Amino acid sequence: MQRLLAIAWLTWKAAFRFRLFLVVAVLLLAAVVGLPLLLKDDGTARGFTQILITYTLSVITALLGLSTLWLSCGTLARDIEECQIQVVATKPIARWQIWFGKWIGIMSLNAALLALSGGCVLGLLYWRAAGLPAAEQKILREQVLVARGSAKPQNFDTEIDAQTEQILQERLKTTPVGKADVAEVRRQIREQIKAQYQLVPPAYSREWRIDLGFAKNFLHDRPLQLRVKFNTAQYSSPSSTFIGLWRVGVPGTTKLWSSAPMSLSPDTFHEFEIPPDLFDSKGILTIDFLNANNTSLLFPLEDGMEVLYPKGGFALNFARGLGIIFCWMAFLAALGLAAASFLSFPVAAFFSLAMLVVVFSSGTLADVVESGTVVGGNGETGVMGHSVADMVLIPLFKGFLVVINLVKSFSPIDSLSGGRSISWTELGMAFVQIVLLLGGIIGLIGIGLFSRRELATAQGNQ
Amino acid sequence: MSNHAKKILLLLLAAALLVGAAQVQKSLNRDRQELDLTRMEPLNNAPPLLAFTTVALGGFRGLISNFLWIRATDLQQEDKFFEMVQLSDWITDLEPHFAQVWSYEAWNMAWNISVKFKDFADRWRWVQRGMELLRDDGLRYNPDNTLLYQQLSWIFQSKMGQNLDDANQYYKRQWADEMMPFFGPNGTNFDELIHPQTAEAKARANLLREKYKIDPVFAKKVDEKWGPLDWRLPEAHAIYWAALGLEKAKENPAKVRQSELTILRRSIYQSMLQAFRQGRLVVNPFDKTYDLYPDLDLVSKLFDTYETMYAEEPNPGQKDGIRTAQRNFLVIAVYFLYENNRVAEAAKWYRYLAREYPDKPLIIGNLNSMPSQMTLDEFVIALVQEDVGSKTPAQDRTTSAVQGLLTRAYYELAIGEDDRYAGFKLLAGKIYEHYQTATSSYQGGQQRVGLPPFADINRTVLNRLLDPKQGMPFAMRAVIRTRLGLPAETNVPSAAPISTNTPAPVVLTGTNSTTSAGE
Repeated sequence: MQRLLAIAWLTWKAAFRFRLFLVVAVLLLAAVVGLPLLLKDDGTARGFTQILITYTLSVITALLGLSTLWLSCGTLARDIEECQIQVVATKPIARWQIWFGKWIGIMSLNAALLALSGGCVLGLLYWRAAGLPAAEQKILREQVLVARGSAKPQNFDTEIDAQTEQILQERLKTTPVGKADVAEVRRQIREQIKAQYQLVPPAYSREWRIDLGFAKNFLHDRPLQLRVKFNTAQYSSPSSTFIGLWRVGVPGTTKLWSSAPMSLSPDTFHEFEIPPDLFDSKGILTIDFLNANNTSLLFPLEDGMEVLYPKGGFALNFARGLGIIFCWMAFLAALGLAAASFLSFPVAAFFSLAMLVVVFSSGTLADVVESGTVVGGNGETGVMGHSVADMVLIPLFKGFLVVINLVKSFSPIDSLSGGRSISWTELGMAFVQIVLLLGGIIGLIGIGLFSRRELATAQGNQ
Repeated sequence: MSNHAKKILLLLLAAALLVGAAQVQKSLNRDRQELDLTRMEPLNNAPPLLAFTTVALGGFRGLISNFLWIRATDLQQEDKFFEMVQLSDWITDLEPHFAQVWSYEAWNMAWNISVKFKDFADRWRWVQRGMELLRDDGLRYNPDNTLLYQQLSWIFQSKMGQNLDDANQYYKRQWADEMMPFFGPNGTNFDELIHPQTAEAKARANLLREKYKIDPVFAKKVDEKWGPLDWRLPEAHAIYWAALGLEKAKENPAKVRQSELTILRRSIYQSMLQAFRQGRLVVNPFDKTYDLYPDLDLVSKLFDTYETMYAEEPNPGQKDGIRTAQRNFLVIAVYFLYENNRVAEAAKWYRYLAREYPDKPLIIGNLNSMPSQMTLDEFVIALVQEDVGSKTPAQDRTTSAVQGLLTRAYYELAIGEDDRYAGFKLLAGKIYEHYQTATSSYQGGQQRVGLPPFADINRTVLNRLLDPKQGMPFAMRAVIRTRLGLPAETNVPSAAPISTNTPAPVVLTGTNSTTSAGE
């Protein structure tokens, strides 16, 4: 351990010697202090806080990410090129200890910088919030500066699948179809059945019963929020709206709340507050919606109805969000060190940045995998092209996507700006997936390459 | 020469060259425009950061703009709007001369993003953002671009003026509140805005110019030509910006297409029609709410406007459309004038309709509603019956219609709209008489299907409105009692409702009505 710490300390000294720590710290603080002055918001305290969280954390992530890559590539590659590593390697210390010690050094630097800048952001948010009128503070406390958990209606997939199979079998008895078409027929039947669960016809009402689970014990006297979204059966322009009326609670059993007619836009998430204590003793919240339009409305099963409830404080949630960002940095540090283990500094930096570009291009990769070809297709006919390269590239891209999604499936900045809870489980998953699994594999490769490298042959600057 | 001296000399040389370049920049820009050497015009009035960005980034601006545009679209699809103002700002900063970009961003904010919010205050904020983007920034960099004037006018005319958005009344109220300090309820004192005398008036005029970008001199011209307009309402501003667009087009005729001018003209005409229908703002003195009434003083000007449109239109098919629109407008105008007790003017325009279109039905779907076949009174009654939903007189519907008109009449009386009070009262009386005449020949006659005496209906309505528990607010009741010469209300509740069979001798004062409440 002492050896690891010694190498980590050397990395710290190098960071200070290169003025990297100072420069990054100043840049981070300048971003945190300067961004609020430059940003244009939508005029609400909520909007300003959201954009502040998003932009400051994005800038922090970008700056720290680049400096981590730079430092991790530089600290090892330059040590090798400038022959300083020979002085260290001849000491009684294993190669893996040198590599891992540098990683620890970089990550401890990151921890310090992240804590410094994150603390400034948090302080800034609370300081600005304290200066707002009481009504705005209440909105912030309930919608942004909070960690909100969510409860959704029961999942009907099992019932839908069972009904789909039953209807499919009955139909196949009367109207046989080719084997190739069975999947399509099943899909269409499933969509029809699914629509029955989603549909609210004109002048009809629809009820949802949402189980708040264990959270009910902590939600007395606390207002909740409904997050709803619907689509319409008729064509509507982007600026059209529909009228809906809501009632929450069960007459005679719980308190009741009814909304005034709400003018709601389709295909959009709407959040609104409902009073406290509308759920029953079992924690079931009953929600009724009356469709007061002359067209059917569809509430998607996946995200049409959601209850948001306060689950914890913002500060701890913010810390967990920083924890996920820290995991990303750990991955980048491992990537940079692994690249520097067998490449010169400029090539290692280029390689690491190229890997980042691939990660950011995952949308394009996903499109290619979905279409099944790299050569695109005819947009009018829908016929996709084919290429020999598809046989190699598509499986390769699929593999890339699996790896990339291990890193990209976490979105702490979105969660924090939306006031959504980042659970300890999520943080733990991030640590396992990003640091232990991906970082570990890359680290092992890097350590392996570094251990086998003949250090005396790499003398770039001599 | 030492290095130090050389450096100073080079710095001085650089500064001199910079000053020299600045001197010839204006003439170079002028030549670029005159010789049509580039499609990019020099950026005027831009802050230093924006000017630097546009020059320094060069052709890469487009790439960055595309990236930002994609991000904005993605975020909008994810219902994340808090970044939209910032992204729009950056996108327009990168393409400051691309009018379509300003137009799209403003339209997107005012129309698409605004309705994503259920609270009207949130929606209004986005409508304002769209408006401000065009007015404060888009026109600053593109002062001659007619597309931006057209889009700005459209926000006032359609988004705020029409009822396409459930929040349109809220928008109108908010805008009226903002405009109230400049344009009062008794008409606009343009001279005070143009030549303010007091410090307060100067501050007000300055605010109007600086914040709302309204030039009182041009506004006065617009008002004289198209008004008098109520400048607290969006229609006046729709006309202002469209008219300003036309004015700018005159300064750069080579850069303007005919179709753009046509759209601007139509904005004015359509806004005038809207102003005629709802261009008079009346503040309820009791609950401070706003009511929108027809601006009947615009009838003649709107009629002339249609004549101008007809003359300007080169397409014969469109000409017919304009004539039809003019006739439809006059049909409504006749009804509104009658409703507002301006019977003489209603009769004048009714005679015009009878002369120009004697064989065209005035009411859609009613072939017996030709002006040659019915009197003005009959036409107005038929129109009310059309609204009530019955062509043949029905007892319950007629009673309801008469009661509704009387209720409306007393409301108008309470808020000081005496002409409208008299007009509604007159209309109620006409409908009553028409029904009684039409049913007098029925088997069993008035006893079976007749209405109670008009005075009884009137008294029922009045009693209901003056009821301290269920009627109008106290202040409105007091005004009605004063205006009708009724005794002041006491705190003692009446022992029993007034019988509809015992009409009290109530006499109207100070109105043009020919009937009294007790008659």
